[in-house]
Amino acid sequence: MEILNILLRGIFGGVAAVGFGVLFNVPRRTLLHVFLLGALSVMTKTIMMELNISISLASFTGAAAVGFLSLFAAHDKKSPPLVFAIPAVIPLVPGIFTYRMMTGLIRLTTETGPQFNELFAQTVHNGLKATFVIMALSVGVSVPHLLLRKESFHEIISFSRVIKSFKKTGRKKR
Amino acid sequence: MSNQRDREERVKKVGLMLLRAGSMLQSSGSSTSRTRMTVDRIADKFGCNADLFITHRALNITVSIKNHEYLFSATKRTMPPGVNFKIVSGISKMSWRVIEENWSVDQIEEELSRLETLPRYPRLLLLTLVGLAGAGFCGLADGSIYAILVCFFATFIGLFVRQETEKRKYNPYLCVFFASLAATMFSGGLHRLFPGAGLETAFATCVLFLIPGVPLINSFTDMLDGNILNGILKASNGLIISFMIAIGLTVSLIIYQF
Repeated sequence: MEILNILLRGIFGGVAAVGFGVLFNVPRRTLLHVFLLGALSVMTKTIMMELNISISLASFTGAAAVGFLSLFAAHDKKSPPLVFAIPAVIPLVPGIFTYRMMTGLIRLTTETGPQFNELFAQTVHNGLKATFVIMALSVGVSVPHLLLRKESFHEIISFSRVIKSFKKTGRKKR
Repeated sequence: MSNQRDREERVKKVGLMLLRAGSMLQSSGSSTSRTRMTVDRIADKFGCNADLFITHRALNITVSIKNHEYLFSATKRTMPPGVNFKIVSGISKMSWRVIEENWSVDQIEEELSRLETLPRYPRLLLLTLVGLAGAGFCGLADGSIYAILVCFFATFIGLFVRQETEKRKYNPYLCVFFASLAATMFSGGLHRLFPGAGLETAFATCVLFLIPGVPLINSFTDMLDGNILNGILKASNGLIISFMIAIGLTVSLIIYQF
């Protein structure tokens, strides 16, 4: 049941990512990768939240995973990494917290009774959560790009090629 | 003497082409460092040195041959920032082919014109897929199956309104407001009619297709790269769009008195 739930969320996330990809007019050949990355980001976040890790850290990890894999996708499909990364992290945006913060703010303008303090606390809580998650997303997506400077990334790619060629020659010998 | 004029002509031609490529990249959602990198790469191929001054509505370029003998300088106004990753991707791919296949300036100009006229996705497909994205958002927020359905149609209507108002050349921020208002009026009305169906999730998530993902993420990328001014410009742009979404939502909240 848990796994089914995670998969279902992955599909929702992938569909949302593809919708945004089409809205941003990404090339058609990249749509499959956008779907997979969107699904992966949401599934990473869901699994981490099941393990009782805070939503900001979970979103950060999801976004960082997307940022990292988008480098490989970019190499594979010959498109810049941001073409994959931006649509794929958008499903992680915490819409429901932002909405609760908005409604809370509006109710605070008219509320004067004893409920004010509780409402205020909830609104601040939701607003801070939304802000931190959005910040975590933007930083998480750009971090792999900054960590792996261009040269070192090409080294990783060529390293993986060396391994592949080793495997191929090994098979031939057998 | 004619040799000198030839070189001047060449620098001018390269400069104008670079300016065009840079402004296309800048107005279709590329980060500042990527624009600079791509322009540098193409300029290098022609043995030129390009210095760019980038803001969000204009681009200034100075091109020189290595020893600063022949200079060309020009400014170009760029289109208001929109998002079109086909152009970003196409120019990036082209910049590699220019080096590998030894392209001429005219070939590059031709390719740029081709990229500019590439078709977007068909309208109905776009509306449907973005509607599905809205439904996906609603599913991620644990909405019921009815909420997911409502969210699909609300997103569909919202994007339709945005496209129509953009066609009539309204202020782009106002277009976002109209879209947000239309989507929330639709889903909010249904929520008002069937209060027990759990449609509040649809009401909350049907505006998410408007979130300015590209400006907000690019603004962080720019700031971390040290292009702080451009980062702040993009962040302000993103914040104004978010603000407009919030206003549309608020108006619906006040009308329906949730």
